[in-house]
Amino acid sequence: MGLHKLRLAAAVPVTFSSRLFLKPFTNTLTLGLFSRHLQPRNKPLLVRAFSASAAVQDIPATQTSDSSVARPLWKAAIDFKWIRDNKEAVEINIRNRNSNANLEAVLQLYENMVNLQKEVERLREERNNVAKKMKGKLEPSERERLVEEGKNLKESLVTLEEDLVKLKDELQHVAQSIPNMTHPDVPVGGEDSSAIRQEVGSPREFSFPIKDHLQLGKDLDLIDFDSAAEVSGSKFFYLKNEAVLLEMALLNWTLSQVMKKGYTPLTTPEIVRSSIVEKCGFQPRGDNTQVYSIDGTDQCLIGTAEIPVGGIHMDSILLESALPLKYIAFSHCFRTEAGAAGAATKGLYRVHQFSKAEMFVICQPEDSESFHQELIQIEEDLFTSLGLHFKTLDMATADLGAPAYRKFDIEAWMPGLGRFGEISSASNCTDYQSRRLGIRYRPSEPPQTGPKKGKANLPATKFVHTLNATACAVPRMMVCLLENYQQEDGSVVIPEPLRPFMGGIELIKPKLK
Amino acid sequence: MGLHKLRLAAAVPVTFSSRLFLKPFTNTLTLGLFSRHLQPRNKPLLVRAFSASAAVQDIPATQTSDSSAARPLWKAAIDFKWIRDNKEAVEINIRNRNSNANLEAVLQLYENMVNLQKEVERLREERNNVAKKMKGKLEPSERERLVEEGKNLKESLVTLEEDLVKLKDELQHVAQSIPNMTHPDVPVGGEDSSAIRQEVGSPREFSFPIKDHLQLGKDLDLIDFDSAAEVSGSKFFYLKNEAVLLEMALLNWTLSQVMKKGYTPLTTPEIVRSSIVEKCGFQPRGDNTQVYSIDGTDQCLIGTAEIPVGGIHMDSILLESALPLKYIAFSHCFRTEAGAAGAATKGLYRVHQFSKAEMFVICQPEDSESFHQELIQIEEDLFTSLGLHFKTLDMATADLGAPAYRKFDIEAWMPGLGRFGEISSASNCTDYQSRRLGIRYRPSEPPQTGPKKGKANLPATKFVHTLNATACAVPRMMVCLLENYQQEDGSVVIPEPLRPFMGGIELIKPKHK
Repeated sequence: MGLHKLRLAAAVPVTFSSRLFLKPFTNTLTLGLFSRHLQPRNKPLLVRAFSASAAVQDIPATQTSDSSVARPLWKAAIDFKWIRDNKEAVEINIRNRNSNANLEAVLQLYENMVNLQKEVERLREERNNVAKKMKGKLEPSERERLVEEGKNLKESLVTLEEDLVKLKDELQHVAQSIPNMTHPDVPVGGEDSSAIRQEVGSPREFSFPIKDHLQLGKDLDLIDFDSAAEVSGSKFFYLKNEAVLLEMALLNWTLSQVMKKGYTPLTTPEIVRSSIVEKCGFQPRGDNTQVYSIDGTDQCLIGTAEIPVGGIHMDSILLESALPLKYIAFSHCFRTEAGAAGAATKGLYRVHQFSKAEMFVICQPEDSESFHQELIQIEEDLFTSLGLHFKTLDMATADLGAPAYRKFDIEAWMPGLGRFGEISSASNCTDYQSRRLGIRYRPSEPPQTGPKKGKANLPATKFVHTLNATACAVPRMMVCLLENYQQEDGSVVIPEPLRPFMGGIELIKPKLK
Repeated sequence: MGLHKLRLAAAVPVTFSSRLFLKPFTNTLTLGLFSRHLQPRNKPLLVRAFSASAAVQDIPATQTSDSSAARPLWKAAIDFKWIRDNKEAVEINIRNRNSNANLEAVLQLYENMVNLQKEVERLREERNNVAKKMKGKLEPSERERLVEEGKNLKESLVTLEEDLVKLKDELQHVAQSIPNMTHPDVPVGGEDSSAIRQEVGSPREFSFPIKDHLQLGKDLDLIDFDSAAEVSGSKFFYLKNEAVLLEMALLNWTLSQVMKKGYTPLTTPEIVRSSIVEKCGFQPRGDNTQVYSIDGTDQCLIGTAEIPVGGIHMDSILLESALPLKYIAFSHCFRTEAGAAGAATKGLYRVHQFSKAEMFVICQPEDSESFHQELIQIEEDLFTSLGLHFKTLDMATADLGAPAYRKFDIEAWMPGLGRFGEISSASNCTDYQSRRLGIRYRPSEPPQTGPKKGKANLPATKFVHTLNATACAVPRMMVCLLENYQQEDGSVVIPEPLRPFMGGIELIKPKHK
């Protein structure tokens, strides 16, 4: 998803609506399926998190009080059988990722669902048998008995089929909170456990008192937060003068570099349907949502281009020969930053609106790990070209959010802020998003199993893997460039690769007033 | 405001709430001010319109039923005295502009307000007199009489002061719909009356069957409306491949050209407070609003960068030496396009989200006409450089919307669509917006009147003039470029000025699949 991960509440309320269970359920049959109410766990779920601590947010219980919430508008193609057959691994994974997904509830609901499905099938067969019997010649009393039996069976079926629909909805709700599995090399633990993959450069030594980017932005007339606070609110800003050219140069240069690696450039809609946001693993609703919603519609503003790009191939079956699909998408991003008080919020570091170029890859499962390496390599190359001092982190399990199988963050040195700050993030989401977005491909070679007689020999479809990675999140790059390239006279040097993209400007000089 | 004007309902409900008049008003005094109820005119108001016909939208009467709607959150510094003293000219202007502003109601309310103000002042004086009298020695009966009189006066004052506040609010409501005055050279009449200021070039002759930009966009893999319809809704789009570079080149080139004329580049917030939208002359609420609102806040998305740029100097007094302020602002723009069904809606011509570079000038009143000429000249130069065939129109009175004193639109030839289409708009809003946004300046020379003894000789502040003009509305420029520069082999030539800004690409060729 890219830079500073949306801190999101759970995609599904944990307290699954026992309302459904309280409804008169099996009047005619005793299935014994609902021997106990599963205890709702009132702990927060982690879907997509910037940092684990920030993600821990309680979900108000009232969220589930509306019965309409219980009906999911779309379904993730979750592999329940696999989860059941790998219960222990899934349980450990949930624990390692500090997720509050309720595996026990999922398995119980799944078992209930399977049993209920069997029961429904049994009753259908029975009803068919009754119907078949009635075709022959019968004693009137026998016919009457069969009519009565058929009627009872039909009534039972209607009730059970309704229950089955509800149970499936319930299962979706609870199961959608199960996080992706984790790459075996990912360090287990919290933020501090993240492993350094690489460290590039060293902090620049300054022989003069340095300024932070806010001061530089003011002194060089590059950034205006004050007017934006009046016009829009806090954490909005205008870019001015050379900063506008620097933004354009950063984006142009980034696009040109990434296109050389075979990535297709895109611009995207910035208003999307809420369901797409959910399918990508973000939560567009709730008190602590990071997502701005449009009034009176089911649309919201994107927090990252990952969302509209992920949506391009939604509900489709791609040809194997079309893969990989590699995109570099430019968009503006909008985030409420709810609950970000106390976090590093100074200046451009955390803002409501920013420009970003985001890479997105759709590939075959067996290729996703190498594309993950490609993405992180592109990021490292870009930031090295700009002369930044940074380290690449293999993020620990508790810091992954729900969709990522593995995530590499890059943190760069920001001398004015006096610390490292996240400037990019590269995630391999394997089939987490594709199972929600419905993106499959059809392998060109037939599967290993022998051809069955009389059946079309088309290979079965598979879910693609998706990956996303920040190529350039403009405001944080500006923090790095302004703070690292400041000179004693208050000017800022433009890194060489960007100069051709900003009309040859080499230096941002203080303006004469 | 720039390209394809927001079609907007009135900023204020016309049916001003007679509720206020029905409240027991002058129990203690008979002012005779409200001798008759002014008949509400249930006709639509025109605030900012794309075309006169589209702007004619009925305002639902229910809008006024909420008493909170009657309290304006901000006040325009409308020069009521001037309106009263120029009643005939204002009346003719309202008629010429096809506005439904109710001048009679404004003048009546203003008179009521002035009279009520006088009455309040008279009562205050009387109360002061009573208080003064009571300081002396008095007969007990006389003192009692005075106490009683003072009490009555105080009660009357409280009532009248409340009424005055309400009357002022009412006056604001009704008066905000009065449009700007009109430049004497503007042709009087509807769309057909607009005068051609200049025509450049001629329609290109094609020796082959031509495609429209939609077909070209599909064949060259440049534009994806289908995926956007799924992800976001109709009238959204992805740009792809060379179209992304073309957008960037258009914006880069435009900025570089306009900066040469001394304009300061900006990027702006795209979420702003609703009040700023209103102050610029747009209507953020109502059934037919062009404005997307953010759920649960008082914020909305901008339809043009004119809004956040207009807001930069809101509520401030500028130095004369700081003027003119000339900006070229890049932003994404968002419009609901409510009620646009039936209008020219094909492909990129009318979309919900687009990129635009907008010029904005803040200057002294005496300079606004020459800056209007400068803006239209810049537009004409830009479009001439790109080799477009276009005509500049001096828009007729009924097509101006409320804020513009004069407006020049440029319409370019779009061979695929087979017609001219608006690609830019340059408006001189004189003091219409500055009286709402509160942007004044202090002349550096003292006014002509002789200095008064004992008083600080600071010249009085004046309202600035504001102007806005489209430099580049990307999607409509793309329509022009794709359709005009298509070749027989299906490729599209890039105009020379843009080539350096897109890595030297000269031709968009069909992709090999």
